[in-house]
Amino acid sequence: MTAAEVKTPPVPPTPSTPPTPSASASASAARRLAAGVRLAWLHLRSRRVPSALLALALCGGALRAVLHWHLMSGGALAQQGPMVIEAGAAVVIAITTHSPFGEAERATGRWLPYLRLGAALALTGIAIGALQLGVTGASLPGGVLILARNVIGITGIGLLASLVTGGLLAWIPPLGYLGFAEYALNAAWRNPWTWPVRPPADRGAWICAAGVFAVGLAAVTFRGARTSLADND
Amino acid sequence: MTAVALTPRPARFRPARFRPARFRTVRALRLEFKHSPVVRVLPILAALFYVNAYRTAAGFPPTWTVRASVITGSNLVFFSVIAAGIAAWVATREGRRQTGDLLATTARVAWARQATVLAATAFWMVLAYLAGVAVIYIQTARQATWGGPPLWPVAVGVMGVAASCAVGFTCGTLLPGRFTAPIVAVAVFAAWFAGVAAANNVNNASNGMKGTSALLVAATGRPQNIDVGVYYHVPPDVSIAQVMLMGGVLLGLLGLLPAARVPGVRGLSFAAGRRLTVVAAAGVACGVAASATAFALAGTARYSFTTGWEIPALLDAADDQPVPYTLDCTGSVFKVCIHPAFEPYLGAMSAPLQLAAAEIAGLPGAPVRAEMTTGNTLPAVAGTTSVYDYSTEQEGFGDASFWATPAIARTADWEQGVQEDFITWFVSGPAEQDSPGPTPAEEAVAIALLAKIGAPVPQYPQFSQPGTQPGASSASSTSGASATQSGASAAQITAAASGFESLSSAARHAWLAANLAGLRSGTITLAQLP
Repeated sequence: MTAAEVKTPPVPPTPSTPPTPSASASASAARRLAAGVRLAWLHLRSRRVPSALLALALCGGALRAVLHWHLMSGGALAQQGPMVIEAGAAVVIAITTHSPFGEAERATGRWLPYLRLGAALALTGIAIGALQLGVTGASLPGGVLILARNVIGITGIGLLASLVTGGLLAWIPPLGYLGFAEYALNAAWRNPWTWPVRPPADRGAWICAAGVFAVGLAAVTFRGARTSLADND
Repeated sequence: MTAVALTPRPARFRPARFRPARFRTVRALRLEFKHSPVVRVLPILAALFYVNAYRTAAGFPPTWTVRASVITGSNLVFFSVIAAGIAAWVATREGRRQTGDLLATTARVAWARQATVLAATAFWMVLAYLAGVAVIYIQTARQATWGGPPLWPVAVGVMGVAASCAVGFTCGTLLPGRFTAPIVAVAVFAAWFAGVAAANNVNNASNGMKGTSALLVAATGRPQNIDVGVYYHVPPDVSIAQVMLMGGVLLGLLGLLPAARVPGVRGLSFAAGRRLTVVAAAGVACGVAASATAFALAGTARYSFTTGWEIPALLDAADDQPVPYTLDCTGSVFKVCIHPAFEPYLGAMSAPLQLAAAEIAGLPGAPVRAEMTTGNTLPAVAGTTSVYDYSTEQEGFGDASFWATPAIARTADWEQGVQEDFITWFVSGPAEQDSPGPTPAEEAVAIALLAKIGAPVPQYPQFSQPGTQPGASSASSTSGASATQSGASAAQITAAASGFESLSSAARHAWLAANLAGLRSGTITLAQLP
């Protein structure tokens, strides 16, 4: 976006009759709504959310292909394969925390935390929905509960990582965690923090995954992803 | 004359030297090494290596080939994933920093500039991978007693990491974007797992053991046989095909790089001239040819039960020859011998076997020696030989498996497993060869003999089924000699064993000397035991 795009010609005042108070209030509300929608849209565009939605759809398609053609079947791979794709959806969400405007964006108003919160929550929900849509009619080990728990928990790790590494490199720690989870699956670990290997209704695993997500979401909402030069390496 | 002309020339002034091109390349490489983002990822790689490779290798027996299987298994998967992601990340650097047009004005060709970045990334990743291999090999060298480090798995791993870097870098160059790096990393992860699933399936005997392209992916998990590479060298055929495939991928993708566009400069590609384009096209062609050849070779592979997968076109006849060795032995009256590769287990084998051999010493057909044999070879029939043959692959009635580490092998459970297998073999004679298992009478005698040396009841069918503790009803053998005595429960066998155990040592010995042949042939029933 350039300065030229915001240069709209001023609207000349029309010498008509003054509006009534109720008409003025509704017009003001409509303007605020339009401005809010535009603000949200610009925020989502700056985070490449449309591309993220495409990537999430790709993840859903990939999961469907894996289950349909049994690309990762047999033993622990039946659980590890979907876990990799769920982690892929989670890291896409983490990447969207990167802002191209840097620190200057933080001085733009009070709506930024709400926009960050809404974007992360909406994308997480869409990711779960897209993956669940992909497995409709197929047999996913553990079902939608494990799918949702993995997406929530690994997204939380990605959001937390974005505070340290910046948004663009926030995919590395979630994939590192995935490496631990793969080993935990093979070694039959039982710790709640290895939630991908726990049964669907395991309370400890849900507490861990939801806790990591909540902390990551809160941190990204209030602080935002790191905007240092590390993103430009 | 002006003041400027009178200014004396500084003593340290040196005219600008011509710097040869190769030095400029070295300098550019040095700068890329110094600023590579891989260095920041090293802690995560180290943690993944420790969890997935080091701990796994430490849990394997200290034989070179078995330990080396780790470095081309899950270790290679995780290094490849991070390598592909980081390479994709660094490939988008010029686009991210919007310096494409600026760098286009420099003397260096864009392709050479990008190749330097790729070389630095691959250098760090391969170095990190080799450091991990060194850790595993050093640990193995300190524990292994025979053989040497296999190098072909290292070549496969290095080529795998380099090829992953090329995959990531090419994707990052051709499709720059903030999602490229993570999507490439996840795609490489998924591709590895799909390949591993196919590779693990190839090694499944029920599939006919036919050579397919799935052999080109290194399987994860432990090898099929614990003594792989011990009695016969592992042929490098499959490793050569794997290196060929990944080398082809590497070459082909490097050849694609000149086709990319310099970010921010319309109409300018990485290839500066026609000559580079021709070289790149030749590289792509060679890469495709190498990969296609590897596919074709893998399809012709055949499985040998002695050496593993072989590719006829690459087979060296010397690989089919057994590796010479001299058994390590201990003991005087009863000798226990083991392959030198498994020497750390000698103490754990000798101590329990000496005790068990002493219990049956003097009986007809009692062995005077125990020897390790290869593979799934069944031991010779008791009573017809003076040597008790045991192997690493033999599945007995106890918990003694050579997949345990030497430290675990020195525990009471493991040693008692050795005694259970030995005594069961001795009293059951030919029945064990026919595989239905010992008869109830043989089981009772074995239990009594084992009790005298402090070993528990072996996992006989009557005792190992869920809910069948002594006293419960039992399943029974269905064929062979044991079929004639079917229906004995665990409680009946235990009672008969208790009665036999209560005999004096001399009486028990005398009864066995007189009736051992009948016991082994299955003619003595549980009721006939004293």
